[in-house]
Amino acid sequence: MGALELKGITKRFGATEVIKGVDLRVEDGEFCVFVGPSGCGKSTLLRIIAGLEDASAGDILLDGVRVNDVAPARRELAMVFQSYALYPHLTVRDNMGLALKQAGIGKAEIRAATDKAAQMLALEPLMDRRPAELSGGQRQRVAIGRAIVRTPKLFLFDEPLSNLDAALRVATRIEIARLHRDLGATMIYVTHDQVEAMTLADRIVVLRAGKVEQTGRPMDLYNDPDNLFVAGFIGSPQMNFLNAPALSAPGATLGVRPEHLQVSRSAGAIEGQVSHVEKLGGETLAYVKSALHGLLTLRLFGEHDFIMGETLYLSPEPQRQFHFDAEGLRLRIV
Amino acid sequence: MAQGRPVRWHIAVFLAPAVAVYTALMIIPLFGTLAQSLFNLEAGARVFVGLGNFRRLFGEALWSDAFWNALGNNLWFFLIHMLVQNPIGIALAALLSSPKLRMAAVYRTAIFVPTILSFVIVGFVWKLILSPIWGIAPGMLDAVGLKSLFAPWLGKEEYALTALALVSVWQFVGIPMMLIYAALLSIPDEVLEAAEMDGITGWSQFWKIKLPLILPAIGIISILTFVGNFNAFDLIYVAQGALAGPNYATDILGTFLYRTFFGFQLQTGDPYMGSAIAGAMFGIILIGVCLYLFGIQTRLRRYQF
Repeated sequence: MGALELKGITKRFGATEVIKGVDLRVEDGEFCVFVGPSGCGKSTLLRIIAGLEDASAGDILLDGVRVNDVAPARRELAMVFQSYALYPHLTVRDNMGLALKQAGIGKAEIRAATDKAAQMLALEPLMDRRPAELSGGQRQRVAIGRAIVRTPKLFLFDEPLSNLDAALRVATRIEIARLHRDLGATMIYVTHDQVEAMTLADRIVVLRAGKVEQTGRPMDLYNDPDNLFVAGFIGSPQMNFLNAPALSAPGATLGVRPEHLQVSRSAGAIEGQVSHVEKLGGETLAYVKSALHGLLTLRLFGEHDFIMGETLYLSPEPQRQFHFDAEGLRLRIV
Repeated sequence: MAQGRPVRWHIAVFLAPAVAVYTALMIIPLFGTLAQSLFNLEAGARVFVGLGNFRRLFGEALWSDAFWNALGNNLWFFLIHMLVQNPIGIALAALLSSPKLRMAAVYRTAIFVPTILSFVIVGFVWKLILSPIWGIAPGMLDAVGLKSLFAPWLGKEEYALTALALVSVWQFVGIPMMLIYAALLSIPDEVLEAAEMDGITGWSQFWKIKLPLILPAIGIISILTFVGNFNAFDLIYVAQGALAGPNYATDILGTFLYRTFFGFQLQTGDPYMGSAIAGAMFGIILIGVCLYLFGIQTRLRRYQF
C-alpha cells in the first residue's frame, strides 16, 4: 500500500520541456532518492507526484490507481518542504493536527495522533510553541511530524536538509533513516547532495535535464555507472576522467575513482606534479596536475606528506577502471 | 566611568532640522490650540476659564446638541468604512492575489486611481452623478428598470450621510486593498502548498491560513481608517458645504470645527470654542489609538516567514 508508478511523465512550461518522459516504479516501503544537479527537474517531478503541478503528459499511478486528476490532499501522501512551510500562526500541535481537523477527525483521535508523532520525534516539550520560537532543526522535525500524523501512503521530501547546518544535517539524516525503518512507509526524497542520496536510499534515481540517467542501488551506481554523468555525479571526491587514448585504453575516456589510483615516486602510467594537498586526518587528498589528463584527485588513507610541485606517478588499478565512449556511454569490456 | 564618553553632538545636530520643523508645524500649534481651549472672551478680554469651554461643549444644549450630533455622525461614518470599505478591500485583494486572474495590474490600477484624486473632484463628480435633475444615476437606474429605487440620496436627511460615506469608501477602497494585497503576497507559496497538501483549499484556506496571517495588516488598516475618518472634513465640505446639510445630517466633527472656528454665514467665528472642539477631537483620536495600541496591537502576532 504505497507503490508508485510513473508512466511517460512529461512536463512543459510554455515551450520548454523540463521533464522529458520519465518512467519509474517505486515499490511499497522503498526509500527512493531523486538526485541531480539543480535544474534537472527533480523537484518538479516530486511536485507532479504531489499534485502541486499537473503533468503535461503521462500517468501517475498510486497502488495501481491513476491519480492525475485527484486533488493533492486526496492522494494520501504527505510532503515535507525545504523551507519547512509551517503555519506561523499555529502551535506545533495545531500545525501537526490541522490536516486531520480539516478531514473532520475527532479531537481525541487528533490528540492521540499528534502525541504519537511528537513522541517519535522528541517534540513533546515543544507542542505549545509557535514556529517562530523553534530552531531550524526543531522546525524541520515539526514538518516531518506534520507528515507522519497523516499516516500517508507515500512521504515526499523536497530537499529537507538543505536549510540546516552540517552537524544537524547528519543528525536529521539519521533520524529520517530511522523513521523509514520504524514506519516502513514508502518515501521519495529529493536532493542535490549525493552523500544524502548514498546514505539514505534503497534506490537512487539520477536525473539530468529532465531525464532519468540511471536507477539503482547506491553501490550499484557507484560501482557500475552507466555513463560519464552518473560516474561523475555519484561519489565524492569526483571520479577522475583520464584521456584514454593517451593511456592506449579503449574508448574516449577512462574513469577511475580517487581511491583507486596507485601512487609512486619513481614510476607509473601518469606523470604529474602535486598542486594542492588536503589533509583530513583520516584521509589525505592530493591534487596532481598532469599535462595529458588535467587535474587529478588522489585519495589516500591516513596521513601522507607531499611537497608542493613534487613529481608523482599515478597508476589506475586495473580492476577498477571504467571506460566511456565519446558520447559518455559506458563501454562494458569484460 | 572615569573617562566617560565624549558628548555625541552629531546626534543632536542631525536630529535638529526634523525636530525644528516638526515642532514649529505640529507641536507648537497643537499645544497652542489645547491651551487656547482653556480661555474665552469675557467683556472683550481673554480670560482663563479652565475646562469651562468643554463644559459648555458637552453640556449646554446650544453647543452639545451640535457636538453629539457630529460625533454620532462621525461614528456612523467610521462604521460604514469599517463594515464596507475594509471587507471589500480584503475581498478585492484576495481576488487580485489569485494567480488565475488575468489583467490583475489593470484592475489594481483602476481601483486605486480614485485614491489619488482630489476630494474636490470626487465630491463634485458624485454630486453630479447623484443629482436628481441632471445626474446620470436616475437615467442609469431607469435603463435597468430600477428607477423606482432612486432617491435624491444626498438631499435626504436619512440617506445623505450614508451616501457620502459610501462615496468615501469608493474613493479609498484602494488603500486597504493594496495593503492587504502586499500582506497576501508576502505569504510564502510553500505555506499555501503545504495547506493544499493538508486538504485546506479555497475558502477554508482563506479563513484558516491567509486571514490569520494578514490580521496585523487589517489592524493597521483599521487604525488608519479610524484616524482618517475622525479627521475627515473635505468630502463633506465639498459635497454639502460647511453647513453639512440637509439640516446638519452630514455634520461631522471636522465640519463642526470649521464652522465654529472660522464662522460661516450668520455664525461668527469663535476661536476659543473652536479650539475646544479641536481638543475634543484630539482626545477622541488619542483614546482610540491608545485603545488599539495597548488593547489590540499587543495581541496581534507578527509573523516572519
